[in-house]
Amino acid sequence: MPSPTVPEFSKSVKLKYVKLGYQYLVNHILTFLLVPVTLSIALQLIHSSPNDLLALWNSLHFDLVQVACSLFLIVYIATFYFLSRPRTIYLVDYACFKPPCSLRVPFATCLEHGRIILSSQPKAIQFQMRILERSGLGEETALPPAIHYLPPEPNMAAAREEAEMVIFSAMDSLLKKTGLKPKDIDILIVNCSLFSPTPSLSAMVVNKYKLRSNIKSFNLAGMGCSAGLISIDLARDLLQGHPNSNAVIVSTEILTPNCYMGNERSMLLPNCLFRMGGAAILLSNRWSDRKQAKYRLVHVVRTHKGAEDKAYRCVQQEEDPEGHVGISLSIDLMAIAADALKSNITTIGPLVLPASEQLLFLFSLLQRKIFKKKSKAYVPDFKQAFEHFCIHAGGRAVIDELQKNLQLSAEHVEASRMTLHRFGNTSSSSLWYEMSYIEAKGRMKRGDRIWQIAFGSGFKCNSAVWKCNKTIKAPIDDGPWVDCIERYPVYIPDVVKL
Amino acid sequence: MVSPKEETLIYGTKVSTVCPGTFTGQDINQEPTNMDLAMKLHYLRGIYYFKSQAMDGLTTMDIKEPMFSWFNRFYATSGRLRRTESGRPYIKCNDCGARFIEAHCAKTLEEWLEIKDEEAHEKLLVPHHVIGPELAFSPLVSAVVGVSVGLSWAHILGDAFSAVEFMNEWGHAMAAQQLAKPLKSAQINTKPKTSPSPTTPTNDPLSTKRVGPVGDHWVYPNSCKMETFSFNLTATQITHLQSKLCGPVGTKQIPLFESICALIWKIVAQTRNGPEPKVVTICKSDSSPRKNGILGNDQVIKTVEAHFSVMEAHPKELAELVINQALDERPKIEDVVKRDNGLSDLIVYGANLTFVDLEGADLYGLEFNGQKPTYVGYKVDGVGEEGLVLVLPGPKNEGKNGSGGKVVTIIVPENQVVKLKSELKREFSIA
Repeated sequence: MPSPTVPEFSKSVKLKYVKLGYQYLVNHILTFLLVPVTLSIALQLIHSSPNDLLALWNSLHFDLVQVACSLFLIVYIATFYFLSRPRTIYLVDYACFKPPCSLRVPFATCLEHGRIILSSQPKAIQFQMRILERSGLGEETALPPAIHYLPPEPNMAAAREEAEMVIFSAMDSLLKKTGLKPKDIDILIVNCSLFSPTPSLSAMVVNKYKLRSNIKSFNLAGMGCSAGLISIDLARDLLQGHPNSNAVIVSTEILTPNCYMGNERSMLLPNCLFRMGGAAILLSNRWSDRKQAKYRLVHVVRTHKGAEDKAYRCVQQEEDPEGHVGISLSIDLMAIAADALKSNITTIGPLVLPASEQLLFLFSLLQRKIFKKKSKAYVPDFKQAFEHFCIHAGGRAVIDELQKNLQLSAEHVEASRMTLHRFGNTSSSSLWYEMSYIEAKGRMKRGDRIWQIAFGSGFKCNSAVWKCNKTIKAPIDDGPWVDCIERYPVYIPDVVKL
Repeated sequence: MVSPKEETLIYGTKVSTVCPGTFTGQDINQEPTNMDLAMKLHYLRGIYYFKSQAMDGLTTMDIKEPMFSWFNRFYATSGRLRRTESGRPYIKCNDCGARFIEAHCAKTLEEWLEIKDEEAHEKLLVPHHVIGPELAFSPLVSAVVGVSVGLSWAHILGDAFSAVEFMNEWGHAMAAQQLAKPLKSAQINTKPKTSPSPTTPTNDPLSTKRVGPVGDHWVYPNSCKMETFSFNLTATQITHLQSKLCGPVGTKQIPLFESICALIWKIVAQTRNGPEPKVVTICKSDSSPRKNGILGNDQVIKTVEAHFSVMEAHPKELAELVINQALDERPKIEDVVKRDNGLSDLIVYGANLTFVDLEGADLYGLEFNGQKPTYVGYKVDGVGEEGLVLVLPGPKNEGKNGSGGKVVTIIVPENQVVKLKSELKREFSIA
């Protein structure tokens, strides 16, 4: 690697230090202002004698009533402030579904089945092969039992079986990890976009675990891959209104009823990328959980671009000309996603970015809008606001795009890429597999801030910001990565030779 | 074609694929030996019958789940064939998997075994897949599970002893219910030692027959339809047979397999329309202990040539010829394949009248729920017109002192079956 010439090198070093200096100055401006003020007061105090101070105190003419009223006012304002603050929402723990190895789908099997099922459509077979080669998926992703058959048997009974397998397994794990008793669950939210039977999946959970009759249960369907964060947002709002409660969220996607049996290219992509997965999360606002909880919820920001027609139609479930139902992805998907992300960043930026970055963004905005200077919009450096990033593993393109837009390093997106490789696109639960990866690698330290970003049909871009409450020590003895974390990270070639 | 009556016997068929439970690895290949490639046009078809108690309480997933662990050990069977640049086939261990077929049967085991039409009914219980027309997408192993377990095994993977060991391991995997660790590639015999090649090989070996180029569709283009039939030999019949051949007990006894070879050789010579078979091929297990988990075509293949009239010879002479004058053909076979770099298309079974001794195979070693099968049969597809005779161990419940009965399975052209059957009945005093 050619080393930069000395003047260039010293210039870049100088710039680095200038930037650092600027950041320290702006982020700690209050400290810098307060220090001289405090110093001057202290100097004054030192110079004046005790008699002067006593004279100053007497001149204020305080009497008992005034002092009592002031004190009372202070206490009243303090109490009002503390009570009206939003309750802290803790994430006590979460569990991810680990598919059994009997549901594994190696590339070769996927291709061979595709050839047999689509035998009359060689172009569709070629297309599927090209997608698989470039997908970023590995050889250990899983599909539900019904889809392993030739031809696949996507009936409702099989869909229910898959739902039971995934949801009950994740719930059992969660109950075991947290020691939570089913009767203690106050709020239950289940989100599954593409399978919505009657009775609902949340009713299925209530039935299986014999939950209380006054449980507040919700079932979110049709909300796409970002439904996981929508559930978190809903739980947060509910927990604000219900003191001393907890909420269990189950995020999953049931693939059995959605195996696309046709040959439209825009609809074949989900077949190649979507895989089995699910997660169960326990949130609580109880004071007693604050020590045990792993994370604290800081922000949830939701952006909906559905008002624009193009965004609304870009992920559409419909019938193809032959009557097969599938999910059609528009060619503008990446552009729309980038746009949704920009909106989301604009809202979340002021909430999380340090003052230095916000000022820079403001200056750049002023330059472009008021002084009409034709410069690129300044993309704030989110690496200063977060230690970890969990980008929904929707596909390789999504991760590449976000890495480029947010100027993230390979290590920042490693959790997303490796989750895509090991588990595929598990829809709303992928964020939890990614969190689990970071924990399994021993990178999660107390005080770390995590940004979860998810995209979904509609078109939505949702973000959640968590703060780590306690350092999580590796190696952890359970979780979906427990038997394979030593192998990761793996090198994923751009094109896998099949 | 399956007749409507047969169709109703088997119903609810579901096809899926079973692959190794753990990722084998990137770019792992298994090179078939020259001997493996010589046997590529043959397919073993096995059938294991179980009493219903063996399958009691077992769901499809209970049977299927241990297979993923089982295939971890034998990951080459889940691979697919490819050709190198020179055209030589090899197995790419890409975890593609074996075909697994579930079916329901309308009859109980007892009712099923009463159906006389053996060939037709076995066709329903055993998958009949072959390799090709697309090499890269043809499974090497298939299984049908219903009231029985049917196996289809491409001979390129290994001989019958390998296939039987493979199946027995499935039973162990079911009992162990633990994910077996894949055998490290160092343990797998990718480049085994080949026997030293003879000095000036010019002609094809006696034990093989060259067939027209089959390309990627590995089916022997037989000129006539072959039929399979089997008969049991009880311990009493065996003793009677041997005394007839060698004299009373006490005189030097000829081993059972060679006795059967001699008797059947003579009968075939007598019943055949056309020249009598002067050369036979004998296949037996390699006496060296088999390394655990290694599949391969390691059986000994020998030829015996009679320079006298077989029809008129005493079976004892033929038996002694088989024991003493058999020549090991393996170096010649390997050499012929090596010369063509694996591109030659040969058959071994049926190039001459072939006898395969499977007495040493632990056929009844596969257990479900601790129960052994009530009956196990094996046959071969892709046999040449000269015919094939398999001598298998019989069901374990017969025979009290370890020397159970035997099962003899014969595969010959259909026009020879009737005459052969009647002569055999007479000779072996069987029903």
